Amino acid sequence: MSARREASSDLQVLFACLAIGAGGLLLGLQVDGNGSLVGTGYTALGIGVVVALFASALQAARGAALPRDPPGILSAVCGFCGISFVVAGVLAPGGGWMFFEVLLLLVLLARSKSAGPGPQLGKGTSVALALMLVFRLWITYQGSERRWQVAEVDVPIVSWIPLPFLDPIRSVSLGEFTPREMGFPPSGLDFPLSMTLWSAGFALAVSGLLWRASAGLERENDRIHAIIHELPPPLALLVEKILPEEDWRALGLHGLPERLLRKRIQALVEERIAQRRDIDQALRSAELLARTSPGGFAGEIHSALIGRERPAPRVAER
Amino acid sequence: MADGERAVVRTLVAAILALLAGALAVRGIPSRVAPAPEDRPEIDLPIRQPMQLLGPGARLRIGDLTPLIGEARVADWKKAHRLPFEVRDCPKLLEWIAGPDGQRLEALSGELRRGTRDEALAALALLFQVARATRWDPGFLGHGEHAERLGGLLQDWLRAWAERSASDPLLHEPAQAAALLYGRVMRAAYQAPMLRRAQAPYERARGFLDGLLGGRAGPRTAFGESFATRRPRAWTTFLERGDFLLGFEEEAKLALPDLDGECGG
Repeated sequence: MSARREASSDLQVLFACLAIGAGGLLLGLQVDGNGSLVGTGYTALGIGVVVALFASALQAARGAALPRDPPGILSAVCGFCGISFVVAGVLAPGGGWMFFEVLLLLVLLARSKSAGPGPQLGKGTSVALALMLVFRLWITYQGSERRWQVAEVDVPIVSWIPLPFLDPIRSVSLGEFTPREMGFPPSGLDFPLSMTLWSAGFALAVSGLLWRASAGLERENDRIHAIIHELPPPLALLVEKILPEEDWRALGLHGLPERLLRKRIQALVEERIAQRRDIDQALRSAELLARTSPGGFAGEIHSALIGRERPAPRVAER
Repeated sequence: MADGERAVVRTLVAAILALLAGALAVRGIPSRVAPAPEDRPEIDLPIRQPMQLLGPGARLRIGDLTPLIGEARVADWKKAHRLPFEVRDCPKLLEWIAGPDGQRLEALSGELRRGTRDEALAALALLFQVARATRWDPGFLGHGEHAERLGGLLQDWLRAWAERSASDPLLHEPAQAAALLYGRVMRAAYQAPMLRRAQAPYERARGFLDGLLGGRAGPRTAFGESFATRRPRAWTTFLERGDFLLGFEEEAKLALPDLDGECGG
């Protein structure tokens, strides 16, 4: 049963890596004006690699797991490549926007919690990446139509006056860029086909990264489950009641090497059993029950039943 | 792990590694500038350097077209093809074309336009010579009708041949030159009035070029693709909302400087 579960989570990791690889392939291609497939170049990928490297380092410093077996190593490599591909695919081609985007991505990726080996992509980061992709597609569309600005805004009043000499000041260009910054092929870009390739690639790569994170979580749970089930079955069930699966990640069990994991489980079981004993003892204590006495006639009876001595009557009562 | 499962895992791992390597390798695929139709080595053109037939030296080569004209039209061709080269003193285009020579030439040009691609080139060569030898610039008094008439003749030719020229080594370049000249003469007609603008030629050119090139309201046509690549300035202004023929005029002034509407004067 456990081996089957592990095989299932390993297969999930492999399929997630397959999606990441396919996404990376599509994100690396564009269609030029002649209808030929052309590479998107290595410059953006280089920046993506730097971002993935920083993200890996920051997540590792925060205690991310190290790969421990071949599927884990493959998963870590695919996570690194996937983040590089996705970041390279969504970054604005140059200038101040790119710098801002890289900074934002670094912050978001550094904050992502890592369940398995390699850098992870959180849901918030995925949303930010999708928004960046939309921005990239928009400026690519503008460039494919040979409009080298993010937007053109008409100047009120001036743009309504039908005098030709006002043409140069009718509108204001926002966020100008150049064909060189865009990395367009010399024969131009077939925007619809390139957009389809990039969108499909982005969807595949991000789904793969999220799937990989979920499969990584499952693999870690399987590993902990297997260690607990080395105990005799009734004892293993008891340990799983004391340490429920939902708490394993919060208790810091994910990502620990096997020896430390066993020690940690042992310490947690001891700690929780001790807590439970303390509580039981406290609940059984007569003093504690006496404190719950409601007083009056019922309280007197309650005290008599638990064998507590009545306080001496006061003089006024005599 | 069963053998079958192990085989699946191995296949998946191999596919993943291949995809990752592919994702890195494809980024290096270089972009190649495809040769223009007329540059393909295997093409044997019936006429060498067809653009010379549209240039100022056309009178030296117009006779080269005679063997390419079909039997049905060759008699008319022989009688009329020299007429625009014999025009003197830069007459106004409408006046010349309304005369006997102009009418014969217009009829011949229409016939040739409906013929083979060699004949279409001959028709365009005649139209360019008419544009070179007659006055169609509106001038100070703003007579835009001459430019509009010339625009009409070019529009007829472009409607028939522009799209087919996109992959035609003979007509590819001449059709682009015709589109530039069309844009220039229609802008002249649009700007003809002294105090305002003539909206009719402007709207006509807008509608015609939208259909011919695509790109604004729908996908680019094959001719539009080629035009956008070769004439980026004209294409950029074509996509604008404002004076969309400005780029055509700028490019035409550079590519066809003698076609200024004043007989090169």
